[in-house]
Amino acid sequence: MKAIIDRIKKYLLRGAGSRPSTVELQADFQARYREFRSLLTANNNALEAMAEMEQALHAGQTFSAAFVRSRSTAVMVNVYKMIQSLLEISGGRYHKLKKSFEKISARVGEILEQETAVSSGPWIIPLHKINKNMADQVGEKMANLGEVAGIEGISTPKGFAISAAASRHFLVANNLNAEINRLLQMLNPENLAAVYEISAEIQKLISNAALPADLETKINDAYSELERETRPGVKVAMRSSALGEDLAGATFAGQYHTELNVDREFLGQTYKEVVAGKYTSRAILYRLKKGYRHEDIEMGVGCLSMVDAIISGIVYSRDPGNPGNPWANINVLRGAAQKVVMGTAPTDLFLVSRQEPHQIIKQELHQEQKPSEAETDTPFPPAADLAIDLTKIALILEKHFGAPQDIEWSIDGDGKIHILQSRPVVFSSDTGENADSGELENPEEQPLLRGQVTASHGVGFGPAHLVANAVDMLQFPRQAVLVVAHPLPEWSPLLNRAAALIAETGSEAGHLATVSREFGVPALFGVQDALKKINNGDVVTVDATYRMVHAGRREDLLARSKPPPDLMAGSPVQAMLREILQYITPLNLTDPSSPYFKSTYCETLHDITRFCHEKSVEEMFSFGEKYHFNQRAAKRLVGEVPLEWWVIDLADGFQEGTDVTGKTVRVENIVSTPMLAIWDGITAFPWQGPPSVSFRGMGSILFQSTMQPGFDPALPSPMSSKNYFLISKNFCNFSVRLGYHFAMVESYLSDLLTENYVSFSFKGGAADARRKAARIQLLSQILSRYDFRVEQKGDSMTARIEKRPVAFLKDRLKILGYLTLHARQVDMVMGKQRSITRYRNKFFSDIEMLLKPTTAEV
Amino acid sequence: MQSGSNVLIVDDEDEFRETMAKVFRHRGINVDTADGCIEALAKLKSKPFDVVIMDVSMPGIDGIQCLGRIKQRWPAIEVIILTGHASVSSGIQGMEKGAFDYCLKPIDTDELLDKIELAYEKVRITEGRA
Repeated sequence: MKAIIDRIKKYLLRGAGSRPSTVELQADFQARYREFRSLLTANNNALEAMAEMEQALHAGQTFSAAFVRSRSTAVMVNVYKMIQSLLEISGGRYHKLKKSFEKISARVGEILEQETAVSSGPWIIPLHKINKNMADQVGEKMANLGEVAGIEGISTPKGFAISAAASRHFLVANNLNAEINRLLQMLNPENLAAVYEISAEIQKLISNAALPADLETKINDAYSELERETRPGVKVAMRSSALGEDLAGATFAGQYHTELNVDREFLGQTYKEVVAGKYTSRAILYRLKKGYRHEDIEMGVGCLSMVDAIISGIVYSRDPGNPGNPWANINVLRGAAQKVVMGTAPTDLFLVSRQEPHQIIKQELHQEQKPSEAETDTPFPPAADLAIDLTKIALILEKHFGAPQDIEWSIDGDGKIHILQSRPVVFSSDTGENADSGELENPEEQPLLRGQVTASHGVGFGPAHLVANAVDMLQFPRQAVLVVAHPLPEWSPLLNRAAALIAETGSEAGHLATVSREFGVPALFGVQDALKKINNGDVVTVDATYRMVHAGRREDLLARSKPPPDLMAGSPVQAMLREILQYITPLNLTDPSSPYFKSTYCETLHDITRFCHEKSVEEMFSFGEKYHFNQRAAKRLVGEVPLEWWVIDLADGFQEGTDVTGKTVRVENIVSTPMLAIWDGITAFPWQGPPSVSFRGMGSILFQSTMQPGFDPALPSPMSSKNYFLISKNFCNFSVRLGYHFAMVESYLSDLLTENYVSFSFKGGAADARRKAARIQLLSQILSRYDFRVEQKGDSMTARIEKRPVAFLKDRLKILGYLTLHARQVDMVMGKQRSITRYRNKFFSDIEMLLKPTTAEV
Repeated sequence: MQSGSNVLIVDDEDEFRETMAKVFRHRGINVDTADGCIEALAKLKSKPFDVVIMDVSMPGIDGIQCLGRIKQRWPAIEVIILTGHASVSSGIQGMEKGAFDYCLKPIDTDELLDKIELAYEKVRITEGRA
């Protein structure tokens, strides 16, 4: 930049008498043109990143914090580059832009770097000192369990929590966060194999890092204390208890790691593995889908004395399939509760009335009723009594927490009930209400298969894909029906892409069932012989609500299916993107002729790009006149041409040997590919002028102002009143004023797809709001049909298309050339719907004709 | 792609660097690699390059500092920053020090090749070879 300013100073010092030489001017112009080119590239990059961010927010896509960070960075770096280039082109004018930019980027930076409020406090907290208000220290799971432990008459295992402050200390001491961030930014979540690889790498980093000695000592001391409370050598269960999970009603069910029967020797290593469990592939994908940053989640770890469970299970204080049902659901299993949530074993189901006196409304016994030999020495409590006791506890907890609870329990050899976990129930987003009220259309119908458990309501269809191992997972196609033997939590990464889920075993209490409900994926469990009767690729319709699997695609049933829930709604990542976009995408500077079109009025990064673009074009346009440099001044297009057109050659837009010192140029001398395409569109059909229908009044005003643009060709007039082409061989910026309309077409065409684009902006005046809206509507209909990305705001619109081959974009330029010249005729009749339709049809047929010869060539 | 450019990839991550070099060679680009700034400067001294692909966070001299040194000594060489850590301040610093572009990993190979081609075009114009 300094070079150009120096040169300008030199011109000034020389005084009016000694103008710079042609060679100097040419070199200067070339330097500016180079900057102009890089400004345009940066403009494209910035606009593209903005569009991606907008789309992510509004199209309901899944996106990560890394995505928001990288796109925001891309926008800011490119906008900065545009400012730098504009300052070079304009010799330092508009330097106030830097201030506007700094202000905006400081705000965006703050949002991006926003730290989750970190909890402080001790590293170790005994369970009996924990209550539900301490979730920000020990995580939801342990905070709730501590609360339960404090309730009179309810028993929990003894134990302690290792707090989030402790895990932060561990990660910070090993300096792991930066490396984890880097690995996650590189992650392409669509590529499951890559997700596994990166997940394994991060987990290895954490598991292999050294546990700080001070933390290790504290954990061992806490364990010694637990031994004194229970018995020497007591085995413990170590479970994750993450912070921040409650933010948007996410469950994180089964996303983490639990280790049972840990003794003193393995406390440290197991602790690290549970902390590393934050980065299992399923947890990474789950967070992504639900819009959590990994920084939002900190790991607390619960350390609880093991219960020697004879029987275990899950109680729902209300039916997760339909909270209106008047019963509690109780799943019962011999042995540890782990098997229920893993979904591997069949369980007995009891439905118990919530009203006193509690009664068993229904029972489904899926376990073999004879206890195995090893268990015969322990009494098997009568199931009915047990179910009623559990219902009472569930109702106490529901009342205490003020919401229906999902409770994990175990019974020890002495017949005592221990509560292992209590958390809010996740209900199906589709409660199957439609199904309950309506009748089956054909009750006699025999489905392909029947299931026993509606794990998640709804109907889905797709080709079946049987999954038994990680290799099958990698081959799982999008929108297929997932068919498995057991609903293991390991399959949860596939729920992102599955149309429905079928499992041979499992209950609604399993983790995978919970996640299916959360993701709105219909899931049918207890489908016997599913793996035998369904083959890979068979198209099936899964009606989870009525517990049936049908062959083929069943439109009648699919009509019942609901759109999937917006999983990211209200999540921290979505909130972050929304907040950042306020400073990035709104466009306030739409009208270059407005007194507010100034660098100091730039409030968003989009404003800055718009401003830089406009001013750089202006600078390039006026260079020739400003320095009396004919070669680069506007030349009038002469020959068989309608209206008045001016052309400025930026680089190599004229045929070699063209006389560049004159004041005119002929179309035959132009070699600019994009300009010639636009010109084809302009001249393809004769301009008919405004229709006679409403020639009087406003129409005639428009007509006259078009035909008499009000300048004497001999005098240079300001850019704003000219129709001009700014060109080089590969580039064209075409600006046109027809009546009160302003339209701009810009394009770069080359062999490098990265650089190619066509953009169009339009602003129309001289009509009432309704006419303006109708006009914009018509234009955007046409452009959308030809693959443009269209944005409307009031009476202005922009349309862009990028990274396509030259032939394709040339066709789009022809369309724009045609529309800029002809669309304004519509104005005169814009009030009448029938005429609009007629014009739209004419435009479409003209355009088809316009594109024909080219399509034949290609 | 016309190419003929000489490209130096500077990245401390062996696997990433060598994979990228392999892909580029396959596309007919002359590639050399360096695992850090010191090795990069040594290679730049020993033979001419047109475009440098530069990682940011490397042990010792980081990519932004290294870019400064390269542009000071060989102003005609164009440097494309390619980083795994999206950071606005390092992006702007890079631009101020004369980076041709600031890109984020992961990047589409074709897109990166296009960017190299553009950078090379600028080198040729600067050196009057175009």
